[in-house]
Amino acid sequence: MLKITPAELKNIAQYIHDISGIYLDQSKSYLFETRLSSIAEELGCTSYQALHDKAKRDPGKLIERQIIDAISTNETLFFRDNGPFELLKHKILPEVIDLRAPSSPRLKTNVKIWSAASSTGQELYSVAMTIKDLIGTKTDNFNFKLLGTDISDSAVKQASYGKYNKFEIERGLPRPTLQKHFTLFGDSWKVKDELRGMVNFRKLNLMLPFSGLGKFDIILCRNVAIYFTLADRKKLFNKLADSLADDGYLIIGSTESLTGICPRFVPKRHLRAIFYQKKN
Amino acid sequence: MTNLTILVVDDDPVIRRLLEQRLIKENYQVLLAEDGYVGNDILSGNHVDVVLTDLMMPGDIGGIEVLEFAKNLERNIEVILITAHSSVDTAVEAMKKGASDYLEKPINFTELFLRLEKISTMRSLLRSAEDLRQAMDVTESTAAETIQNLEVTAAALQNKLDLIETVLTTDSLASEDKIFDAMDILQAID
Repeated sequence: MLKITPAELKNIAQYIHDISGIYLDQSKSYLFETRLSSIAEELGCTSYQALHDKAKRDPGKLIERQIIDAISTNETLFFRDNGPFELLKHKILPEVIDLRAPSSPRLKTNVKIWSAASSTGQELYSVAMTIKDLIGTKTDNFNFKLLGTDISDSAVKQASYGKYNKFEIERGLPRPTLQKHFTLFGDSWKVKDELRGMVNFRKLNLMLPFSGLGKFDIILCRNVAIYFTLADRKKLFNKLADSLADDGYLIIGSTESLTGICPRFVPKRHLRAIFYQKKN
Repeated sequence: MTNLTILVVDDDPVIRRLLEQRLIKENYQVLLAEDGYVGNDILSGNHVDVVLTDLMMPGDIGGIEVLEFAKNLERNIEVILITAHSSVDTAVEAMKKGASDYLEKPINFTELFLRLEKISTMRSLLRSAEDLRQAMDVTESTAAETIQNLEVTAAALQNKLDLIETVLTTDSLASEDKIFDAMDILQAID
């Protein structure tokens, strides 16, 4: 495997931070090597500096995208960490439904949910399944709009396609849930149309402005800010507060904290999980 | 370390015998079935890692049926089909149904052992990934509990500080009252 020099490490780490916001510890040189060596070799680069130069000169930004795909962590699974989904089912969704219920049965209201680092889609589809299982066909008065965004093009692509292999399926999905919401597709499983119809995926770099997204009722931003510097984390959660409805709900990763990061959010406990709301 | 349990399903006693001897020599655990019926019986009552089955066997249960039965029973079971050259197309069809591989007759043992070796490596990788995941889950849930408690405590303390600040900066209160009120807030139990 192509070895990285200390000077290259410094430059590449800065470059990765610039294009993605991801902060990689420079003491972990193996991280750079295991994730970037195959791209370098594939492009015929004999050093990481050469890869860096080539990426910067690439007008189509194809190499940049490849680097982001390689460097971003797509570790995810259906119903990862039960807490947030129990929280949605027993607390947040019933409250949102009550709060947003239209005054007339003939009217329809939008409920907007955003998975801010949706990776390959498992989290957002898990939210969609939770909604379906909770309110079944009584969704008539509600228009659930679920948005998933991620910085990695290939992750967004897989999420949009909604197809998962047996290893991805076996992690976290109980058989009855699988049979209810997925159809067998060759050796893989594909999300059923009615679930697929509830969600949308697009590429978004959380370091850039969230223009045109509007306000959300529920935002999930789990286990992504851990890859950012403290300064970038503060900026991110401040922007998320701007994108959340005044009575909206924020869910972060179970081992994450907003103490000292964003005073605009107050933690609230329900059962064994925590969610955040804006301070009024 | 090759301790996979392999079920051999073949109606030809010579092939059964041959496979049994060679596999045992390579330290695999071997179970034998002379047809699909017995094969499915053994699958129902024993732990099997890999099924090595002939594609064409007399009776209603051929290799494809054994494959379907095994996969239905346990998704992680690996099935390798043994086929005559003429039925390669059927074998390819079987791969789509979840067979791991197929071998053409006469069996090339080097090839067979190579495939079993691969399955064995894959299994141990999957097992260590699973172990790591479980270790991560335990660490994560323990850390989550601690962090969430701290998060709630920190927010409660911040709230107290804000209240005390309000009291201390209220001009209409006498200094003594400010101290009493601030103490009240400090001593209040959440």
